Amino acid sequence: MTPELAFEPGSSTAYHTGEWRIAKPLYRDKWPPCGQSCPASEDIQGWLALASEQQWETAWRKLTERNPFPATMGRICYHPCEQACNRGHLDSVVNIHAVERHLGDLAIANRWRHAPLDELPKRQRIAVVGAGPAGLSCAFQLVRRGYPVTVFDAQKEPGGTLRSGIPAYRLPKAVLADEIDAILALGIELQAGTRVGREISEEELRDRFDAIFLAIGTQRPRRYQGDASSHSVMSGLDFLHRLNRGERMVLPSRVAVIGGGNTAIDVARCARRLGAQVTILSPQDPPVNHLTRRGTEMPVSSQELMEAESEGVELLYRVGVRRLVRSGEHLSGIEIAHVDQVHDRHGRFNPVLFDGTEAFVPAGLAIFAIGQQVEWQGLEGLSQAPESERVWIGGDAGGSPRFAVAAVGSGYQAAMSILTALQDPAAPFAAEEKPHISFKQMHLEYYPARPRHEGRVIAQPLDGFDETVQGLAESDARQEAERCLSCGVCFQCDNCWHFCPDAAVIKKGAGYEIDYDYCKGCGICVQECPCGHIDMEKVE
Amino acid sequence: MDKRDPFRHNVLTSGHRACSGCGEAMAARMVCDLIGPDAIYINATGCLQVFTTHNQQSAWQAPWIHSVFANAAAVASGVEAALRVRGKDTPVVVQAGDGGTFDIGLQCLSGMIERGHDVLFVCYDNEAYMNTGVQRSSSTPHAVHTTTSPPGRLSQGKHHLKKDVISIVAAHYMPYAATATIAYFPDLKAKVEKAMGIKGPRFLQVLSPCPLGWAHDSALTVTVSRLAVETGLFPLIELEHGELTGVMRLAEQKPVEEYLRPQGRFRHLFGNGEGAAELRHLQALADARICRYGLLDAATEWDTQSAMQSMRHGRGGYVPVLQEEMEK
Ligand SMILES: Cc1cc2nc3c(=O)[nH]c(=O)nc-3n(C[C@H](O)[C@H](O)[C@H](O)COP(=O)(O)OP(=O)(O)OC[C@H]3O[C@@H](n4cnc5c(N)ncnc54)[C@H](O)[C@@H]3O)c2cc1C
Ligand SMILES: Cc1ncc(C[n+]2csc(CCOP(=O)(O)OP(=O)(O)O)c2C)c(N)n1
Ligand code: SF4
Ligand code: SF4
Ligand code: SF4
Ligand code: SF4
Ligand SMILES: [Mg+2]
Repeated sequence: MTPELAFEPGSSTAYHTGEWRIAKPLYRDKWPPCGQSCPASEDIQGWLALASEQQWETAWRKLTERNPFPATMGRICYHPCEQACNRGHLDSVVNIHAVERHLGDLAIANRWRHAPLDELPKRQRIAVVGAGPAGLSCAFQLVRRGYPVTVFDAQKEPGGTLRSGIPAYRLPKAVLADEIDAILALGIELQAGTRVGREISEEELRDRFDAIFLAIGTQRPRRYQGDASSHSVMSGLDFLHRLNRGERMVLPSRVAVIGGGNTAIDVARCARRLGAQVTILSPQDPPVNHLTRRGTEMPVSSQELMEAESEGVELLYRVGVRRLVRSGEHLSGIEIAHVDQVHDRHGRFNPVLFDGTEAFVPAGLAIFAIGQQVEWQGLEGLSQAPESERVWIGGDAGGSPRFAVAAVGSGYQAAMSILTALQDPAAPFAAEEKPHISFKQMHLEYYPARPRHEGRVIAQPLDGFDETVQGLAESDARQEAERCLSCGVCFQCDNCWHFCPDAAVIKKGAGYEIDYDYCKGCGICVQECPCGHIDMEKVE
Repeated sequence: MDKRDPFRHNVLTSGHRACSGCGEAMAARMVCDLIGPDAIYINATGCLQVFTTHNQQSAWQAPWIHSVFANAAAVASGVEAALRVRGKDTPVVVQAGDGGTFDIGLQCLSGMIERGHDVLFVCYDNEAYMNTGVQRSSSTPHAVHTTTSPPGRLSQGKHHLKKDVISIVAAHYMPYAATATIAYFPDLKAKVEKAMGIKGPRFLQVLSPCPLGWAHDSALTVTVSRLAVETGLFPLIELEHGELTGVMRLAEQKPVEEYLRPQGRFRHLFGNGEGAAELRHLQALADARICRYGLLDAATEWDTQSAMQSMRHGRGGYVPVLQEEMEK
């Protein structure tokens, strides 16, 4: 028999210490800097978290919500996400693009298929002009939501500049083709070899379709104007197009490539592979010192430059073309001179040369990679049409920064505008507003140092167009994904739960809840959350 | 019964009246949840006893008795002997502050160990008599400002040194004695579990910062306890039968100033010549402890970095409380 007590004690939970609170902790997802700086707005943190748990297919599905080209971008994207990655403040940034590539390669190997988002078929028809990354990204978003989409491209094969410009040793054609096939398999109608403005008129397009997206890239190369003859002169774009169509040109023994951008480097490395001795004549300085004046450095990564040099490409910096030196029609070389200013007073690329600094570079072929523009021929009407006439322009042609993932992002944005204009039931698509998070709001002491995993560079014979960088092994990809700090997004480390002195943090199956009846607002959970997921707000 | 949390029993539950950010409340909740509700808890007088049993309301969800200030270990000895007679092996746990351990409770503690009672004694060390308004105890470190050791003409805070209680306890041919703190949950967990696996008297000294008495921001309780370890001022060690059997290595030794700065109880040391000498003294005390226990070169993987790293889905917590059991 239990003896009777003088009084029966109650539970302290009857007393709500939450009333003492002068500040209130709140769980709040943030938008990490990687995702902020990805032009396709990929939820990088989200898919890295899934990859770290080896949920590869789910990770791929999350990634492809915004970018259906992970195998491609994992290889050729300049990855601005990594420049922004908070892990750089701890040891070295997460190798985001290598994990992205791993997911893309897994999808190809396992033939994962994109799923429609909305089974309900829609009636409005959409035309996409240009099967580059911008056009295909837009088509992908629309067809997944049930719209009939037709993609026109002047070329025989889809892919745009990814296929016609980028050399195979950086992006194997089969990888690109597989990712495009997976997109088209959603039911996109592709009309290849059909130039709008020639095979089909602007008017017909307007009649047949309810919305038009122009993603025609910049297909007209800027040509060298200083010489009347076009003999032994070529544009970088033409050179790469021919090469990428499978043509193996016979080059003279010495080739000069004029230009300081990525195209110049691609051209030079390809010409090297065709057996020529190659010199790049760059109007700019090498990309080493980011503190020098804007625009005087080559807009390329030092990594790419290093690879080119290791393949034997020679570089001359801060030089411009004075004239082409010919004997008869035949090109014998180029007279160069020192570049004083790269841009003129209006900021336009217009190198100014110094008299008296001339020198001669022997070359039997001059390839100019000095820029490219939109080819509007045949599309003059549409080019002027406002969005109210349901015509959108995007990708390189629409003025986005000229790299592939920007085109993908632009295609997504266009698709959302089109859905809104067509009054899709799910519209409007307001971007979710999440507060940003910087490393200063995080507690990096909680993360141990871990080395970054790199894809191996494969040595290969110089005449090969095989891929030069290997993908990560599965265990390395997982470990690399684990390096993500999960900036601003709870990763269920249990710290807040362990440390709350008031048992006011309740652990639920997959997350946590603060019991405001008891939280005294001490701020420990905020202070000890590694990733900055918890905010503190004053209460009145 | 409060059954809000399916992953933890909350032996010490919400609604208690500890100050916001109390390190002692945090430490006790961790320790008791690691031991579980099937134990008898004996509590000496002090903050923990007062703030958990207020106004006829108890925050304890396990059998719990309040002894008086001095005799918690003696009461526990009796409880354990009675259980033994009845053939039961319910764990018996004493909880006491540093006053109730280093000072007024020391004699009963010594007797309990000497007689070999199967009891875990946990000292929540907040380095002063907090419940009566921050008086110095023999645990209060050198140079600390308390109401009974004010800095002034004659001294820069407490004149005497912190008593080395763990050595005193270990000197009893003690099966297990260890120090721990709240900042390193995995370490605390390992030590509680180890202690619970040993028969006979066991002792844990858990450093538990007190935002009121130490005068630091309530949000910094864990950070301050971590710095106590990282500076070497509070070594994390294990002693078995008097021998040093485990230490937590310092991945990096931090200067004591990093620990002292956020705490108001050391404020008087900054910005004057005599204070500067005491700062050097405190640094020398930390260096001496590091040297004594080999905190920088111990041959162990267990260091202040590995013990702290966070992981997706946590690093294991308490024995999960099953939903059906909660319903009972
Ligand atoms: C040599 C080179 C290397 C590059 N390397 C990289 C790199 O490593 N990383 C990176 O991120 N970016 C790189 N880029 C840039 C990247 O390729 C472009 O930013 C991207 O392809 C632009 O995509 P888009 O869809 O806007 O246009 P594009 O990819 O150029 O596609 C436009 C398509 O529209 C078609 N088209 C044009 N007019 C018509 C018409 N009237 N009717 C029908 N079809 C038409 C074209 O045939 C073409 O297929 C490189 C570019 C070049 C030139
Ligand atoms: C014999 C006796 N002397 C004095 C007191 C008054 N008293 C109550 S709690 C306390 C201080 C407790 O200090 P400590 O043991 O360090 O625990 P803390 O409150 O700091 O957690 C004192 C002096 C008492 N209750 N009994
Ligand atoms: S650590 Fe992860 S979440 Fe943070 S910026 Fe880098 S990739 Fe993004
Ligand atoms: S640790 Fe607990 S009491 Fe302190 S603010 Fe967070 S939820 Fe509130
Ligand atoms: S402390 Fe850990 S569990 Fe709590 S919110 Fe932050 S990441 Fe999530
Ligand atoms: S005074 Fe210190 S030990 Fe006592 S309840 Fe407040 S914070 Fe905790
Ligand atoms: Mg005390």
